[in-house]
Amino acid sequence: MSHPPSHPPSEPPAAGRERVTAPRTPAPQFPGRTTVSQEVAEQSAVGEVMVRSLIRSQLRLGLVVASGFMAALLLCWALVAWVPMFAGWLILGIPAPWILLGVGVYPLIGSCAWLYVRAAARNESRYRDLVDGP
Amino acid sequence: MNPAIGYTALIAVSLATTAIGFYGLRISRTTSDFYVASRTVKPWWNASAIGGEYLSAASFLGIAGLIVISGVDALWFPIGYTAGYLMLLFFVAAPLRRSGAYTIPDFAEARLESPVARRVTSVLVVAVGWFYIVPQLHGAALTIRTTTGLPSWVGAAAVAVVVCLTVVTGGMRSITFVQAFQYWLKLTALAVPAIFMLLLLAGTPDSAAQLATTPPAGGILPPAAPVTGASVYGTLSLMVALLFGTLGLPHVLVRFYTNPDGAAARRTTLIVLGLLSVFYLFPTMYGVLGRAFLPGRDSGGFPDATVLLLPGALVGGPLGDVLSALVVSGAFAAFLSTTSGLVVSLAGVISQDVLGGSVRGFRVAAVVAAVVPLGIALVTDSLALAGSVGLVFAFTASTICPLLLLGIWWRGLTDAGAVAGMLTGGLLCGAAILFGSQLGPEAPWRGVLVQPAAWTVPAAFLVAVLVSRATRHRRSPSVSRFMAKLHVPERPLAVDEPRPQGG
Repeated sequence: MSHPPSHPPSEPPAAGRERVTAPRTPAPQFPGRTTVSQEVAEQSAVGEVMVRSLIRSQLRLGLVVASGFMAALLLCWALVAWVPMFAGWLILGIPAPWILLGVGVYPLIGSCAWLYVRAAARNESRYRDLVDGP
Repeated sequence: MNPAIGYTALIAVSLATTAIGFYGLRISRTTSDFYVASRTVKPWWNASAIGGEYLSAASFLGIAGLIVISGVDALWFPIGYTAGYLMLLFFVAAPLRRSGAYTIPDFAEARLESPVARRVTSVLVVAVGWFYIVPQLHGAALTIRTTTGLPSWVGAAAVAVVVCLTVVTGGMRSITFVQAFQYWLKLTALAVPAIFMLLLLAGTPDSAAQLATTPPAGGILPPAAPVTGASVYGTLSLMVALLFGTLGLPHVLVRFYTNPDGAAARRTTLIVLGLLSVFYLFPTMYGVLGRAFLPGRDSGGFPDATVLLLPGALVGGPLGDVLSALVVSGAFAAFLSTTSGLVVSLAGVISQDVLGGSVRGFRVAAVVAAVVPLGIALVTDSLALAGSVGLVFAFTASTICPLLLLGIWWRGLTDAGAVAGMLTGGLLCGAAILFGSQLGPEAPWRGVLVQPAAWTVPAAFLVAVLVSRATRHRRSPSVSRFMAKLHVPERPLAVDEPRPQGG
């Protein structure tokens, strides 16, 4: 993708000292945060398709990890509520349901979050590679 | 308890809070500084601040109190409070940061291009914030009454005054420091006494044996309550409320605007999850110890005071006094931080929509945002803290959550659909809670009404989708551009195209 010559930003440059006023309008993006290639990509038809596919893959990722987490939570609940043997099981003198719900669920939450953050960043870098081209 | 402990703890925390607030004043200069700390807060700071702001009276006092009352079933509360951030991470954190809006109403207006949608969102955000501040003030009232013997209103009023002072003088930048400090204070205030208590128990074989050998059937660590249709519904509905309520809390969301970019917003959430997971081990421990060692198991009719009374009851002597002071100061940190976070975000909304958005307007709005819930708290009675905060989550999940989830992920959402969905969810949820609380405990539909999230959240989503489909022509013309802004990753600062900086 070719880079057109750089042009001045559409909004006037921010003054050095900012006057305290109402941020009624959406906040300005940091200058230098969007590249020309990115802007082109967002406005062209091809760019639109790429953005749509990025959104779809991020949504799919979120839904998959969220449903996995909820399924695991339901499993914990079923163990605690419906399996009498599990409720009677002692670990260091403490009944297993207390250990599972009081401690065991948190590493599960942490690992889901970690997996998601990695995968989401990978989706984004794939998109960036597509937009910038080789 | 010796009243001096309560006074010392209250004064120390208030002084520390205002001192950090004033320190922050030297940094706040522009409107952007005031509202969102110029978006330059580092993930660790920001995550500590989110933890500080989020861990409220319900977490610090309420969870242990609920464990004392209802045993293992109460553990779903901290799980839900934490897992809510998981949903926030999956569906909201990064896109919301990229939206470039300062508040939730700003987001509504930018996404839907509709001042009406903005107004409705503002009203709902203010309602959520006020309902959430009230339990904090109840917690403060309970703490003051338990520790100093002063009348309840003193605690609520003290919290409101300290919060107003901090917010009016420093805005968000200083709030970030205050909140981050308060997370670590809260963690220390629970962890240090807990460690002392455990060491003491390990040193006295009798009491350790009492905890370890009590038969699991009944006693200190009872199994889950028997499963009934009502309990299945109750747990499910609670989890829906907590999982999807967190992502609509205004004081939590405003924190995501202070991240430098979307990826940092995700990293922040990851750290928050770690901080919350560590924190919630301790209220659970207090709840269990409270079941075992607080005589009467109900702390004189206030199970929520378990955390406050336990160190004094178990350790005793001067060391017990010091540990009690630590716990009490942690509790005040919880009320102060959550209340100030809510007041900041409400003041942002009120000042922009009513007072024109100047810094002076922000200050006036901050006072309004604190005084109204103080009035409500003074004329109402405290419910169980964890339960009443749970109801606020149900309300948020039925109103703000559909707006955010559909607005971020579905192009088809129109302003009419969003407004209809939010109003449906809000009215159903509010009416169900009000009506359900009037019914007697044996009324057949009471469980469904007092824990309404399981049906009000789907109803709100359904109405939003159906109305949006019926009003296709009202779609915002700039939706494609806005969606790209939400989801396309930012560049690292100052790479291939240096833009002219003003100067």
